[in-house]
Parts: sequence; C-alpha cells; structure tokens
Amino acid sequence: MAEIAFTELKADHLLTTCRGHGNVGPVFASKGEDVGEVTLDVPYQLVTILSMIYPWVPQGKIAIVARRCDEKALNELVKRGIFDAARIAIIGLACDAEQIAKCSCSDPVPSKVHIGTPNKGVDSDELTVKLQSMSSEERLNYWIGQFRKCNKCFACTTNCPVCFCEDCVLEERTFVAEKGIPPGLAFHLVRSFHMADKCIECGECERSCPGDIPLLTLRKMVLKDMKELYGFSPGDQKSVSPLLTTLEGEPLEGDDHVC
Amino acid sequence: MSDFNPTILAFCCNWCSYAGADLAGVSRLQMPPNVHVIRVMCSASVKPEYVFKALSQGIDGVLVLGCHIGDCHYLTGNHRTAKRFPLAQKILRNIGIDERRLRLDWVSAAEGEKFQQVITEFVAEIKKLGPNPLREVRL
Amino acid sequence: MLMPRIGVFICHCGHNIASVVDVEKVVEFARGLPNVAFASHNLYSCSEEGLGAIRKSIEDNKLDRVVVAACTPRTHEPLFRRNCERAGVNKYLFEFVNIREHCSWIHAKEPEAATRKAMNLVAMGVAKAGLLEPQSEGESNVIPAALVIGGGIAGLAAASSLVSQGIETHLVEKQAALGGMLNEIPVVGPEMIESKDLIENYKRALECSPKAHVHLSSRVSSLSGFIGNFEATIQGGRCDEKVKVGAIIVATGGREFVPNGEYGYGSLPGVMTQLELERRLARGEIPKKVVMIQCVGSRQPGRELCSRVCCNASIKNAIRILDADPNAEASILHRDIMSYGTAAERAYKDASEKGAKFYRYGLEKIPSVKRKNGGLSVEFYDETLDELVALDADTVVLSTPILPVEDVKEIAKMLKVPVDKYGFFLEAHVKLRPVEFATEGIFICGSARWPSSVSECIAQGLAAAAKASIPIREGKVVIEPITAYSDPEKCIACGNCVLACPYEAIEIVLMDGKRKARVNEAKCKGCGNCVAACHNDAMEQKGFDTRQLAAMIDALIKNALEVSQ
Repeated sequence: MAEIAFTELKADHLLTTCRGHGNVGPVFASKGEDVGEVTLDVPYQLVTILSMIYPWVPQGKIAIVARRCDEKALNELVKRGIFDAARIAIIGLACDAEQIAKCSCSDPVPSKVHIGTPNKGVDSDELTVKLQSMSSEERLNYWIGQFRKCNKCFACTTNCPVCFCEDCVLEERTFVAEKGIPPGLAFHLVRSFHMADKCIECGECERSCPGDIPLLTLRKMVLKDMKELYGFSPGDQKSVSPLLTTLEGEPLEGDDHVC
Repeated sequence: MSDFNPTILAFCCNWCSYAGADLAGVSRLQMPPNVHVIRVMCSASVKPEYVFKALSQGIDGVLVLGCHIGDCHYLTGNHRTAKRFPLAQKILRNIGIDERRLRLDWVSAAEGEKFQQVITEFVAEIKKLGPNPLREVRL
Repeated sequence: MLMPRIGVFICHCGHNIASVVDVEKVVEFARGLPNVAFASHNLYSCSEEGLGAIRKSIEDNKLDRVVVAACTPRTHEPLFRRNCERAGVNKYLFEFVNIREHCSWIHAKEPEAATRKAMNLVAMGVAKAGLLEPQSEGESNVIPAALVIGGGIAGLAAASSLVSQGIETHLVEKQAALGGMLNEIPVVGPEMIESKDLIENYKRALECSPKAHVHLSSRVSSLSGFIGNFEATIQGGRCDEKVKVGAIIVATGGREFVPNGEYGYGSLPGVMTQLELERRLARGEIPKKVVMIQCVGSRQPGRELCSRVCCNASIKNAIRILDADPNAEASILHRDIMSYGTAAERAYKDASEKGAKFYRYGLEKIPSVKRKNGGLSVEFYDETLDELVALDADTVVLSTPILPVEDVKEIAKMLKVPVDKYGFFLEAHVKLRPVEFATEGIFICGSARWPSSVSECIAQGLAAAAKASIPIREGKVVIEPITAYSDPEKCIACGNCVLACPYEAIEIVLMDGKRKARVNEAKCKGCGNCVAACHNDAMEQKGFDTRQLAAMIDALIKNALEVSQ
C-alpha cells in the first residue's frame, strides 16, 4: 500500500482503512509515517472522509484507496470544484464477488486496478425488479412501511460522498413539514431528487441506516430512470447534469417535453 | 368518490401561463374551482421540492405551466423545467405515488382556451385518481 | 421580533367579483388568519376612493403589510404598490391576490366554491405577505435612442414622431423603399387621400432630421438587452451595424392573404385580389362589370378574424370605378358591411347612390365563379331575396384578410414577445396597456398588432412613439428588485446555479478564502432558475423566497385540506 501510494503514485499523503482498537477505521498518513495494519475487506466511504479533511491539508497530493464507485464520486466532486484533480491520486481497488453481490453492482472495476482482481458486475437488483412489478398501491405501502423506520439520524446524508451541503435543507421545516420522527415522504422524495444526478451507488447510505431501509435500491431505481430519460449516469469526468443544461440538440419546437 | 373535490396547486409563470390564465378569465371561460395558482416569474424557478412537499402533505395534484419551448421570456429557462419535472414524476412513481398527480404543460399568453382545457382535463383526471392516499397517512 | 401587522382588502370590483364571491364572508375569514390586524372590503379598490380608504386603514391600524384581493397583478400591482408607498409602507411589502380573472370570472356558476377558493387564495397571499421583506429599487440608465422595426405607415408615423421629439431613431425597413403595403394602394378611402402624399410627408420629416437613421433593404438580425439598454444588429448594406437603443417599436405590418385557388383564383382570368385591382386601377384599366366578394379566407372556421379594412377598401374602389365610368357595373357580395364611423358610412351610402349594388350571401352557400361567354359569371344565393342570383362580370375581386408577415415568428422569438394564433402580436392589455408589450420598453403598432386602417395605423404609431419616449426622456428606469442572491453561509459552490443561469450572471468567487457563488445584479433578470437548481436554499430570489412559497403551500393545505370533507 505504502509502496503504491508514495513511490508509484508519488503522493505525499495516504488515506486508507486500517484495523485498530478492534475496529476498522480510516487512517490518514503522510509519507514516512507508519500506515498501520491496512484492511480493505470492509467497505468504508473514504471519499466522505476526504471531503472532511481536505480543507485541512493545504498542500501535497493525497492518494486514496477507491473502488469504482468511489472513483466516480471523486469525479463528481472534482467537476464541482470541491477537489482539485491534480491533488488526488487514486489507488484502484477492485471489489470481490461477495461485495459485488451485496451491492448488486453493475460497474465494479476502477479505471486502473492497483489492488484486487477485477470481477464482473451484476445486471439487475432483485429488490428493484420486485418493486417495479408491484402495483403503485403496493409499492407505496412498501415504502411507507420502510420509511416509518426513519428516525432522521442523517447517517445517510452525512456518510454519502456526494451529498456535500453543510446545512442540509432536510433539517429545516421548509419542505419537510414534520418536526418529529419519522419525517414525511417529502424527506425521501427530495433526497432522491438531489441524488439523481450525483449518486454513484456506493451503498453507504443503506449500510449506515440504523433502520435497515433499502435506500440503495431506491437510488438504483432513480438512476435507471435518469439513464432512460437523459442517457446520463453520474461518475464521469466531463458530463454536466442534464438537469442543468438546455435542450440543445433536441427539437425546440412542439410540446414534446410535457409530461 | 363522486363528491371528492380535489385540491390542486398550479405554478404559473408571469409572462406566459399566468397571462394565459388571465386571458381565460377575461374571456369568461368557465372551469372547475379546484386549482389554486401561485405566480412565479419563470417556470424554471419552480423547485421540484415544492411538488414533493405538496404531494406528501396531501395536495391531490400539482400543475406546472410554463412558456412553450423556444418562447421562454428568459431564453432557455424552461429547458430546465422540461428536464426537472419528468424526473420528478419518475421519482413519484418509484415511491408509489401516481405520477399523473404532477403535470407539466406549456400555455402561452394567447392560449386562454388551452388553459381552460388543461385545468378541466387535469381536474377530471385527479377526480378519477381519487384523493391523494397520503392525505390519510401519518408516517 | 415584532409580528407583522397585515391589512387585507377584498375588492368587489363592482359586480365583477361580488356577484359571485361572497366578499363579506372572505373578509370575515381573513380576519381570522395569522398576523392579520385588519380586514375590509372596497367597491373599487383601484379608484381614488378605494386607494384612499386603504391608506387610511394603514394609518389607523399601523399596518406594515398589505394584501389586496382583486383583479390581476399584471395590470394593477404598480398602482397598489405606489399607494402603499404613499402611506409609508415599503412598496414590496405588498401582495396581490387574483380573485377575479382566476376566480369570480371563471367559476361564475359556482358561487359557494368560488368563495371557498377565494378564501384559500387569500390565505395563501396572507402567508406570503407575512414573510415579505422590504426591498429597495435599483436604477438603470436609458440610452436616448429608439429602434423602429418596419417602415410602413405605422412605422413612419412612429419614427417621425420620435424624431420630432429630438430622439435618435433607427428605422429599419426590409424593402428598398419606405411605405410598406401603402405603396400598393395609391388612394386611401373614405377621404380619397393620395397615399404617396402621406408617405412623402413622413419621409420628408425623416430626411430633414439629423436624428433619423433610415436603413432600407435591412433587417434586425439579433437583439438582446432590456428596457433602456437594448442592443440590436441591423443587417443590410455592406456590413452589419450594431446599435444601442432604449426602446423598440415593432411596426412590421401585414401582408395580403393570397387565396388558394378559391373562386377560380389562379385558374380563371379576371379573378384577382384587392391589391391586384389597385394595380389595374392605377394603370387606368377600369373594369366594366366588377363583382367583389368580401370575406374571402376570413370569418370562417379556422380563420375567424374580420380584417376590418376590406369592406371600406371595396367601397372606395367601387366609387373610383363608378366615378371613372358611370356606366360601369359594380356589385359587392358581402356577409356584413363593416363601414364603421361617419365617413365610412357616408362612403357606403355614396357608393350605393352611384349605382353600386350590395348583395348579402351566407357562409353555408358561398358564391361560385365560372367562365361565361368569354367572361365570368358569379352565381350566389342572396339571403335577402332568398333566391339564386347570377351576375355577369369581366372582373371578380376577392377581398382577403391582412395577415402578419411571414417572418413574424422569428421576430417574436428574437424579441421574446407573444403572438396569437394568427401570428398577430399580443399587447399587454387591450385597454389598460395598449400599444405596448408586457415586456417593458417594447411597443407595437399597426397591422402587426391587428388589421388596421391607415388612420388607425398612424394613431397607433404616434401612441407607441409617445409611450416609447417616456423612459427615454426620464433618462432612467426603475429595476424591480426580483434578482437572485446567494447566502455565503450556506453556499458550498457546487456550481449548479452557474450552469442553470441563462444569462451567465453567476460566478464562483473567493470570499474570505472560500469558494462561494455570487450573482451579478446587473446581468440577473430575475428568472429564478438558479433558485430551483440550488439544493440547500442558499440561492434565493427577492420577492419569491422559498420560505414564502412554502408558506403559501402550507396555507393552502391548512385551509383546503383540513377544512373540507
């Protein structure tokens, strides 16, 4: 790990996960410092950690262990000027088949693999398919049942790598009318909308949720719609969110765009 | 179901759809009294969050009416409107809320009759869909 | 924090609102709304009496916000805002609720439901008013110049009026000569004026003035800006010219609708339009037996308009023909004669006395034109006589409507102004804001607005020039404070607003070493696109704050959902 970060990628710092005190947690080590017992078998959202410490690291290149989803998250944040691409070096980590199955991941291989063996992604997610075949009444009842468990812990937003607002609008009463818990559906509808052009399906939201709400599944459903509507998937280095661009190249006349 | 009176919210832009609504009024075109208009400068300023808020709190239907594509007073403002609301509809559908409770349409300042038509059709559609199930639901 | 003291004023608008909405019930309801310190009603809130009553109530009850429920803000908002200012309340602590165009006029047969809806709308307005913040207006300089698009009679009248007021004026005409359609009509009725005299008169005024810049064979190819500061590119001649003006007058005129083969047009010799007849008459070719058919291509399903000038044109030409040859026969087949006004009515009588015959036909059985003995025969069903009539003719003249010019959609898009289903430009309000568009600084006159007679075109051109000169003379315009602004505490510079803005008015800058979005107020047009793109409400639009609109939605839910069933 240290070899890859400091010699191959010529980084000055490294952000990875290590085992210590009986737990797996993030470690930020500079060149020359002891990295510790690196452990990569537990998925951990290091991009979120990077966002937190980045303002405190004024100089130097940071190498970060990133799976494909993390790499896409980094691209989304670089596009928004939150990170300077020149200061980030990616240590590509290929996920194993077990992890891929857990996330129902369709795109598990980073652009350059430094650690791990590349495996194939899976095409579809079982729960997504089940939900889409339900009637809307059944589906609504399913989600109401799930969202009853939400206690506004904000673990999903805090741990999400692309959820970058410091003051989250869902903490206020403007759109989420309910003071108490669980919050109404507006909470989850608004979150889905905000995530639609940024979510890279890392699954951290679902893993963090104390209520075991299948949040990743909902993200996947919306991302599928984004792909169908606009041919857009978040995570590359150039594309701008279609929600912010004009209809250039699409027919301007007529009422094709009503719904 | 026959005495279900929907409560509907409509966002109308100052330059086109609000003016079209005014024209419908001036022309005395009659329509069902279920729709309440909020005036905005451009349909592009309508946040999908308002739609999610309204529907999750029990409003039966939301209309977003802007200028025809190419005619927006603010150049390409309504292009973004055209992109945001189909996505909002999909999100509603994914959760299980009937996406027909949200409708995006274009009404120009000259289209008093179209405004009447859109209102009448939408109210009839919402009546058929029935009250918003979220009216009764307290999570 | 002091709670707002809102005053609510429900307008009867005479019968217009009160005949459907129970105004007193709405007033009673308003009294119970949060933060409402006073509520009452007026017969006509916009009258001096009504405005005075509002001012007195503000003073007596120490009101600091005002809600008026009446007609549409698109007409009277400035009036009520000024009224608030007179009473010492900031102009922008005023909210207008539309219970006429959007309520009483469209739910006329459902007074209970309309009253209920009016209450909901008032509750929404009150909720917004409670959260309004005082604003101050900005000012923008007005470039002391004007642009007139179109050199027909309306444009000529407008341009010469502007120039006589000392205003630098650019007149752009797409043809090689000024005069427009009037060039094809040598004599104008009912006064029988020579049109070339009219045109010369205005042309001379322009030629004599150093303030007039006439661009012939030219078009406006692009336009940007806003009142006081428009920039137009005039294309024509060797190179494009960019001009900066403070106001624009649209006088693009119309064209004669050419029939699609109806009545034998194009296939039978001797069948022509009115303008084609004008050319013949100018050459001295007087028909011996002329039959004119009115309302060809107008006043029918799909094109219901009445073109207003064709009856008088036919009457004028019939008189000219009969004056030139008292033995000629002139018949006019019509579905109504629109000869409004004393002069036109006199001409109608005149024509009849000179021998012109008027026959009424119906839309259900339109005339047919056939060949007969080397000439033509027009057969039609006369509604007055209740029988079939056949007239011999050597000339059949079709009176067709004036329609907008072919490139009107391009012009409308360039100026961002609306057109109706025929393509005629839509003015802001037919009575309260004639000859101007809803967009400030752009005015409309002549047949581009609606088929108009020469005298009407001139009057409208002068009216448009008078209105256009106002901002130019004042030298500055007030900018409504509806621009966007970003809260640096909340902004995380994600760049959504920068991408969403159609005017590129937002940029990311460093504030205290941190990246933040900043709106350039001069470029911001107040569309609010950035507000919708911002995820955490860092970006807001003055006068349309997210919290205000959310409060309106809450008010609707509270009053409509929790009360009904």
